[in-house]
Amino acid sequence: MGEMEQLRKEAESLKDEITAARKAVQDLTLQDHVAGTAVVGRVQLKTRKTLRGHLSKIYAVHWGDSKLCVSASQDGKLIVWDSYTTNKVHAIPLKSSWVMTCAYAPSGNMVACGGLDNMCSIYNLKGKDGNVKVMRELAAHTGYLSCCRFLNDNEIITSSGDCTCVLWDIETGSQKTVFAGHLGDCMSLGVAPDFNTFISGACDFTAKLWDIRDGQCRQTFGGHESDINAIGFFPNGNAVITGSDDASCKLYDLRSDQELITYQDSGIMCGVTSLAPSLSGRLILAGYDDFNCNIWDSLKAERVGVLSGHDNRVSCIGVTPDGMACCTGSWDSFLKIWN
Amino acid sequence: MDAYCSNNVLQARRAVEQLRLETELQRVKISAAAAQLVQYCQDHRRADPLLTGIAASSNPFRDKKTCVLL
Repeated sequence: MGEMEQLRKEAESLKDEITAARKAVQDLTLQDHVAGTAVVGRVQLKTRKTLRGHLSKIYAVHWGDSKLCVSASQDGKLIVWDSYTTNKVHAIPLKSSWVMTCAYAPSGNMVACGGLDNMCSIYNLKGKDGNVKVMRELAAHTGYLSCCRFLNDNEIITSSGDCTCVLWDIETGSQKTVFAGHLGDCMSLGVAPDFNTFISGACDFTAKLWDIRDGQCRQTFGGHESDINAIGFFPNGNAVITGSDDASCKLYDLRSDQELITYQDSGIMCGVTSLAPSLSGRLILAGYDDFNCNIWDSLKAERVGVLSGHDNRVSCIGVTPDGMACCTGSWDSFLKIWN
Repeated sequence: MDAYCSNNVLQARRAVEQLRLETELQRVKISAAAAQLVQYCQDHRRADPLLTGIAASSNPFRDKKTCVLL
């Protein structure tokens, strides 16, 4: 028992050291720095397209390029949409309808999904006979699959309710690296623009930055008062944005290793389900449990717009790679394209 | 010591190792970090369609009005 007490004391002392080191670089706040900057003007986006076809709650959407996106619904289907025409390019029936996440490979050759089956299933969209088939089933997680993101056609990162994230080799179906350290279900992940690191948000209220190649957790960010449901990189890769059940979003700067700003409003009392930054990072679009999506000025932390139009929770959101539009997915079974 | 105890000790040791790693991070002053974020937003504002707005003619999501001769 002596060692536990010693370790506990050492942990507390190290945490104090980190707190002090973070304080030591607080020569200015972000608010001070942007005191002279004007708030962005009101942002009014309109629904340009409604993608209809799912028969149940939509849980995830991910853009492949600036035209094609894939969505996952608990009606047991993955649908690949041409968002310009609203045509369904593929409608893929799933073995398990309890899907919670989906992803499009950067190459456009594959999509992936997973959920309560604890597996990540990879589908080849460019098969020789034109049929979309399961290419690989990545199984090893002992909890639900909450999120997945392709690095390339042979590597994918998954996050799970078993508190770990995993880097997989798709060809062999094996786990290349297990990222362990979170003390609660991992809910979401985001890959850095340079593909060297990724971030995870979890039910232990923290976000962690991981080195993809050596498997190390490099930084841990606290401050949220409840589960982190959504996470994403600021476009320059130097900051992380999180969305939580505590009704707030936060921006953490990687280089100064701390929270710089919180996006919250006394009028918002429901959880954040999803988020995406605009191309320049100046706007943060966040989906909430109250059926709306709020648009925040990322530097001034003021609400500058609202996307209302869904009849149920906004569960997922994504901005196209070219920044031209954002897509919201909802439990009302519809996806909407806004700009 | 039973297995449950030693599991806890292992977890505690790992937590301390991780914290040691994190204390060694070189942290940049917020003034510099904030300046970078603001500069990035500034540099890319013109190229951010959701911020600047999109002309109807160049909006791929807007239905183009076309006439069809029957």
